[in-house]
Amino acid sequence: MAVLERIRSFIERRRFLTFLAVMGPGLIAGNAGNDAGGIATYSIVGAREGYGLLWALILNTVALAVVQEMSARMGVVTGKGFGDLVRERFGVRVTLLVMSLFIFANLTVTIAEFAGIAAALELFGVHRYISMPVVAIIVWFVVVKGNFKQVERFLIAISMVYLTYVVSGFLANPPWLEVARQIVMPRIRMDGGYILLFITMVGTTITPYMQFYLQSAIVDKGVRVEEYKYTRMDVYAGSFMTGFIAFFIILATGTTLHPAGIEVHTAEEAAQALRPLAGEFASQLFAIGLLNASFLAALVLPLATAYGLAEAFGWESGINRTFREAPQFLGIYTLFIVIGAGVITIPGAPLIKIMFLSQTVNGVLLPAVLVIMLRLVNDKELMGEYVNSRRMNIITWITVVVIILLAVAMLATSFLDG
Amino acid sequence: MPFFASELFVSEVYRKPVLDQTGEVIGRLRDITVSMGEPYPAISGLVIASGRNIYTIPWESVNLFNRRVISINALRHNLVPSSPSASYIMIFRDMLDKQIVDIDGAKLVRVNDLRLADVKGSLCLVAADIGLRGILRRLGLEAQGERLFSLFRMKLPHKLIGWHYLQAVEPKVARLTLTVSRQKVSQMHPADLAEIISEVSSKERAALFGSLDVETAAEALHELEPSVQADIIDDMTRERASDILEQMPPDEAADVLGDLPKEKADELIKLMEKEEAEDVQELLEHEEDTAGGLMTTEYLAFPPDITVEDAIKELRLEAPDVETIYYLYVVDDNERPVGVLSLKNLILARPPDMLKDIMKTPVKTIPLDADKDDVAEFISKYNLLAAPVVDENNVLRGIVTVDDVVDFLMPPASRKKRRRL
Repeated sequence: MAVLERIRSFIERRRFLTFLAVMGPGLIAGNAGNDAGGIATYSIVGAREGYGLLWALILNTVALAVVQEMSARMGVVTGKGFGDLVRERFGVRVTLLVMSLFIFANLTVTIAEFAGIAAALELFGVHRYISMPVVAIIVWFVVVKGNFKQVERFLIAISMVYLTYVVSGFLANPPWLEVARQIVMPRIRMDGGYILLFITMVGTTITPYMQFYLQSAIVDKGVRVEEYKYTRMDVYAGSFMTGFIAFFIILATGTTLHPAGIEVHTAEEAAQALRPLAGEFASQLFAIGLLNASFLAALVLPLATAYGLAEAFGWESGINRTFREAPQFLGIYTLFIVIGAGVITIPGAPLIKIMFLSQTVNGVLLPAVLVIMLRLVNDKELMGEYVNSRRMNIITWITVVVIILLAVAMLATSFLDG
Repeated sequence: MPFFASELFVSEVYRKPVLDQTGEVIGRLRDITVSMGEPYPAISGLVIASGRNIYTIPWESVNLFNRRVISINALRHNLVPSSPSASYIMIFRDMLDKQIVDIDGAKLVRVNDLRLADVKGSLCLVAADIGLRGILRRLGLEAQGERLFSLFRMKLPHKLIGWHYLQAVEPKVARLTLTVSRQKVSQMHPADLAEIISEVSSKERAALFGSLDVETAAEALHELEPSVQADIIDDMTRERASDILEQMPPDEAADVLGDLPKEKADELIKLMEKEEAEDVQELLEHEEDTAGGLMTTEYLAFPPDITVEDAIKELRLEAPDVETIYYLYVVDDNERPVGVLSLKNLILARPPDMLKDIMKTPVKTIPLDADKDDVAEFISKYNLLAAPVVDENNVLRGIVTVDDVVDFLMPPASRKKRRRL
């Protein structure tokens, strides 16, 4: 028996090692979704509604997992990125349209991430004229000089820093029973403000760049079909962690700011507002979390764009490439960082307008991406036995239709607001 | 026989209306089928879509085919809808927007447009457009693009790859490019080829690998990462796999086999030629990161009492099968090294000299179980191109060449040469 036991543990260990080797893209893509905008949204949700919207996080996380899983599956089975597949199946016109929206949406979100970095570092007294060039060079250096393995490990390490939010959440010392009660028996209201927050929450969690990044990273990593089950675990773990972190952000602001009736509009405001209520440490942790989240996304977004474009137009791509081997790929990456950090250093840049625009473009792009994704993932010629099962299709169509409705609703409300 | 434009791009005829004998519109051009041909694949028919109906028209029935008019020798109401057979290769469905290998530039590119031209009376596929111009043409913006470029005093470049310089990777289309471009693919440097193989998807990889001759396949395989090598070998038929393994130097073959499941490896070894199989089997018994695991069993060894002239004759015979010919080891009857000669020593010596008189002694050797770092240090210390490996009885068993250890000596960042998938 002892021998059998040892063999079993060995096999399990091997499996665990395979999982560790395959793990990465799902975790990184998920966490990159909790970017500067995401943290701002969750902070606002907590401050305004307390624990009133925590229940929605569960739906959010499931939806994210469903969508990300399809991206990952396409990447593993076809060995091609989303840009590749769109080009090969839908031709030049559709590709150009999708890619134009993609570039624009990502560029504006990238600017938002650098804004997040600048704001977080200013809380620590670092002026943006110093922080922007320094951070831009670091972000640039990591991908241009690093190889895939190093970059991935770096990004996984950054993803772990998100756990500071868990500490922030605990430091707030929430009434756990009340939290549980509100998750199980939420008091859903039908007023405009509540619904708008709900819609924004979904919009901020599921964004096209996450799917592009996930699929391309899996291809660049070279995950094999036999390893797919581990990739799926990676994707689910990543989605879970994304929801888990969001949960603690809402908890932190919901416990402290909400009862005090403090309204916040940005993540850095939330960090500042936490200081008198939850202490210096909690406030600083919150700021570090914002810095880290913005930094991760400021790296992933330009990367996702470079991957997508290189795939669509047939340029060489991959983190392992040098500038000479893949000039367009690394060129796009560089350009995005320069613009992203550059805009922040322009005095009086209309950041609010840029964010608004980015939300709008993402709102248009996401439905398009999801519909294309569903058509691709059900293409027998492409996916073979890995097409969606009937049950999977029902779940995904419901998810996708709901997300699309919410995206359209968000578009409509943002226009009404604007 | 059809009258056709002497040259045009397929994007210029896509979705153009197709007329019948009386000038009535049948439908729009949906696709163009091609069939294998020498030296270029020829157009074999048109696929026309009209509402829900699909008509497949053989090329012989086409009357006019150019940018302005496409017409066929038939009457609209006589046509019977028929879908093209699944095995047909179609330009728009199977080739446009797909990836191909640009053999000249040794990289993967995307097909933006395809060029047709008159070759000895048939309309053939002659080149792929991979440039910006092709994309603009697809969008109907070629002229505007030219004007924009001329504003900056630049010319919108033509980027065409001739049929002979491209290799399809889509499994279906790969068959079409096989015969003509096979030699061209083989002329690519194995490292470039390996890079491309590592970039395409696994289905395409099988197609591309299948198009290579055994020798080229072996060289390209050698450039890939061990785990990828094992993957590829695993996907092949056993016969082809064993043929390729035979072509590889025994140490490389042993590396690949070492990464396969034991049963599979044994099976392949059994299928290999006896001599190669024995070499590989022997190497497999050594630990991977020791001198024994790194060495190759192919080296040059001569007895001490032959003349330089005879040695050179022998060298000519054996050299093709041996990885490194820069060192000639002089061994006694028991295969124990007693001296060594460089190729230079041999060539500069007088033909009647005996090897034992000009050889250098003693020979520096390393044991089978020496660690890879020790091997590297040894080679670096004595400035060698290869290190002789001996067993406990001082019998020469193989040599480790410098290219097998250079990887360990490189800093990790520049070690990404071997392509992962």
